[in-house]
Amino acid sequence: MALLDYLHSIGIDCSSSGEVTLPGGESALLLVNPTKVECGIAEQAEEYFIILHTHTGESRLLIDIAPHAVVRMLHVMLCESDCRVELRQQTGSRCEMTSVIVAGARFDYEADMNGSHASNVLRAAYVIGGQEHARVAVRINHNTADCRSNSLVKGIAGGAAVGEFEGMVYVAPDAQRTDAVQTSRNIEIGGEARIKTKPQLEIYADDVKCSHGATVGQLDSEAVLYMRQRGLSLEQAKRLQVEGFVSDIVYQSGEFGEVLAQELASKLELL
Amino acid sequence: MLTVKNLHASVGDKEILRGINLEVKAGEVHAIMGPNGSGKSTFASVLAGNEKFTVTEGEVTFMGENLLDFSVEDRARKGLFQGFQYPVEIPGVTMANFMKIAVNEQRKFRGEEPLSAGEFLRLMREKSAIVELDAKLTSRAVNEGFSGGEKKKNEIFQMAMLEPKLAVLDETDSGLDIDALRIVATGVTKLHTPENATIVITHYQRLLDYIVPDYVHVLYKGRIIYSGDKTLALKLEKEGYDWLINNQEE
Repeated sequence: MALLDYLHSIGIDCSSSGEVTLPGGESALLLVNPTKVECGIAEQAEEYFIILHTHTGESRLLIDIAPHAVVRMLHVMLCESDCRVELRQQTGSRCEMTSVIVAGARFDYEADMNGSHASNVLRAAYVIGGQEHARVAVRINHNTADCRSNSLVKGIAGGAAVGEFEGMVYVAPDAQRTDAVQTSRNIEIGGEARIKTKPQLEIYADDVKCSHGATVGQLDSEAVLYMRQRGLSLEQAKRLQVEGFVSDIVYQSGEFGEVLAQELASKLELL
Repeated sequence: MLTVKNLHASVGDKEILRGINLEVKAGEVHAIMGPNGSGKSTFASVLAGNEKFTVTEGEVTFMGENLLDFSVEDRARKGLFQGFQYPVEIPGVTMANFMKIAVNEQRKFRGEEPLSAGEFLRLMREKSAIVELDAKLTSRAVNEGFSGGEKKKNEIFQMAMLEPKLAVLDETDSGLDIDALRIVATGVTKLHTPENATIVITHYQRLLDYIVPDYVHVLYKGRIIYSGDKTLALKLEKEGYDWLINNQEE
């Protein structure tokens, strides 16, 4: 558990929730296996949440984000659990979330863009193997004009695992000038792994910029050959490629990038 | 260093190499030329161990060992380098990280300690200078968004990092402008020592102005049909392959 070891090493106790201070001096609200959290972020405030799932359970987080507030979230699911995050964003607010899932977990994410000029960014990656089944559902409701959202979900399934992505971008009739992107990228490793992806758009406004895309592929055999020609073993080459695939998710999460990459890498070794 | 005897190789049931013989000694530079589809790139891939091709007949000895016994990665670790005609992009994997693993794998194979972070950075700086590769490229993903020239410089940079005994450069000059060609070719020349050898596969004589070959071979329909010294490349540039091919078919 690279992440838990790291948090321990910087003096953060992961056995309970509470306010913590990160090495850079920034403070964050640590939520460990939260069952139900409802909170509001005040106007212009900045809040950083670290949400950890270390044992099986159900979580529901409901966060109201007042005008011009900024929320960052690091969300890590280390074991099979069920988590639902609901956000309500007011005018000019920003929310940015990185989610890393290394278990057969279920993650539901829904953001209501209720005030204009709000922005929402979600980057999520899951890696599963064996008989695991992971499901990520993302719904972004553009209820007012001039909001932006960008969701990127990457999935890697090995063994006989099943991964599912269900996405929806809803654009209300008067949510003009909405700018929404939703992307699902996936790699199946081996013949038995399955990934299903279903990105959807539901658009009722006419002046919008919305796009979605989904791919499910295998490892790039040309790249594997190239790396082996430079002396990497087949296993190293595959692993490096898969690590590279999820690197843009984790390395955007600032100081946790390295340790999250390790968390994913150690999971990849088990596939 | 390298002895190729009667090498035959196929992809599926199509035979592409049909009896290649070649002897490369340390310190030598060999150029392989020939019309499109004659098997030049296949020859490079077969030497490197690409599993897409099946060797159906013949032998290849490299540094006294049967090269065909070894996997792609073991051939690389033993000092065989293939410069790719189309270097592959690997999103999310930085050049520095990739090279660090490659260099240390090779060191491990030779029973050497891995390089420290400092030693490795120094080595990268030193070697990237050889091909005037922008130092910033080493922090970018492997070949991703590199221009054609940068990709080829990057091949020679990797060759410099790995110091192979034998480098097989597959059309390293294709797609290069005059300046990039000069940089890439002088890079290869700088890396040449009496202990190593290079096989350059090319269509054009102009590369050989910089990398002066000891031997020039013409590959046609999977066989070397003619060998000569560096003047052969000039003659081919002027007269084409027809005189050799017609001769062959008589």
